[in-house]
Amino acid sequence: MLKRLLLTLMAGIALAFTVMSHAGSTPTDDVRTSVDAMLEILKNEQLDKEDKRAQMSTVINERFDFRAMSQRTLATNWKKTSNEEKQQFIALFSQLIESSYVGKIEAYTNEKVEYPGEKVKGRKAVVETLIITSSADVPVNYKVYQKGDQWLVYDVVIEGVSLISNYRSSYQEIMKKEGFDGLLAKMQAKIDELASTPS
Amino acid sequence: MKKLLLVFLICTLPLTVSATESRRGFIETYEAPPATGEEFAPPVLEEMETEGTDEETAPFMDDDDLSFLDEEDDVVEVYDPFETFNRGMFWFNDKAYFYVMKPVAKGWRWLAPEPLQLGIRNFFSNLRAPIRFVNAALQGKFRDSGHELTRFGVNTTLGIGGLFDPAKVHFGIDKKIEDTGQTLAHYGVGAGPYLVLPFLGPSNFRDGAGLLGDFYFSLVPVVFENTAYWVAISGDIINFLAIDKDTYEGIKKDALDPYLFLRDAYSQYRLNLILH
Repeated sequence: MLKRLLLTLMAGIALAFTVMSHAGSTPTDDVRTSVDAMLEILKNEQLDKEDKRAQMSTVINERFDFRAMSQRTLATNWKKTSNEEKQQFIALFSQLIESSYVGKIEAYTNEKVEYPGEKVKGRKAVVETLIITSSADVPVNYKVYQKGDQWLVYDVVIEGVSLISNYRSSYQEIMKKEGFDGLLAKMQAKIDELASTPS
Repeated sequence: MKKLLLVFLICTLPLTVSATESRRGFIETYEAPPATGEEFAPPVLEEMETEGTDEETAPFMDDDDLSFLDEEDDVVEVYDPFETFNRGMFWFNDKAYFYVMKPVAKGWRWLAPEPLQLGIRNFFSNLRAPIRFVNAALQGKFRDSGHELTRFGVNTTLGIGGLFDPAKVHFGIDKKIEDTGQTLAHYGVGAGPYLVLPFLGPSNFRDGAGLLGDFYFSLVPVVFENTAYWVAISGDIINFLAIDKDTYEGIKKDALDPYLFLRDAYSQYRLNLILH
């Protein structure tokens, strides 16, 4: 009887904690956690470049929803592709996004990031960030949506330019001329090129 | 010279005006968020489409249906009938950038301390304040216009001829980019065909014509005349590239097709400026 009471109590406490953590996680909290973690990794002088990239990759994969990004990039073409093609695309696309985003973040390693505000609308939100550098203030907005108890990034808007819209218009143009396979081949070639050139 | 510029301006206007109607429609739809309330219900058409293909994609679509993310999207379709010419100019600019402008900029970056680079940038930016002042006013943005006037006064005096930006640093008044291209857009002039300009890069017929307006409002041609003008604007561009964190190199590295990347990025960037 006592054991049962204790268990109920524990379950109750556990539940309370989950609810609390759920309520406590705002879009800005989630984005800030990831951005801070990345800046921390970049500043860590004990890590070499390889380690940094690997750790950055883990943080990005936790926060970025590459599947949502892929779906939005392919837009209407998403429905026309097979599951296998989708998986292929996501695998390649996530590597390209990661590389591009890391390259941009790396340029701002020692800068201050401010969080001027967020706009929440239902399950979607925009987290505004401002990277303060000595020469300019760069607005970088993260578009996030709620999935479970987390806010996941589905687009990054830098100085008013949406990364995903940009990829979409470029990729659609390439697909028009070279087809889906042509696009995949180009993406693979770019990844090989990125891997072979030391940055 | 001025006559020639005017003739060019007049010749390009009909081309841009012809695209006005569609542009106006676009901006209206862009400004007004779809009234779907809290639910983010996708448009009916969208829903039907998704349902229609559910069978094929069902195994993969097991988790969240993400169509609710789509509605806000308005992809900027860039009208680019002169793509062949533009790609040629893009190639030329690419070479000019890597073989001439960037090496000089790198030398300047190495030679000049950063405060000097920023001072020069502020100086030119201050000489262009009338462009922002006039164009904010022409668009009825009198608050922004007033800010620019204040900035010009403060930075020209306390900022020692515009070398420093005390208006921002001490008074918290930020610069806001306004130019003739944005004013034309405000009055319904469409972007017209996309255009890559020599050395200056991405533009379009409207913004290209806008550059001529900017030229008339700018104080740079007043302070620097004839040859000195060309030396001054070349110096400004080189100085800008020295401060810039190799943005173009990053684009070349990342993008599958840098031409398409820049074409879309420019159009998005301009639309964002026009709407704000």
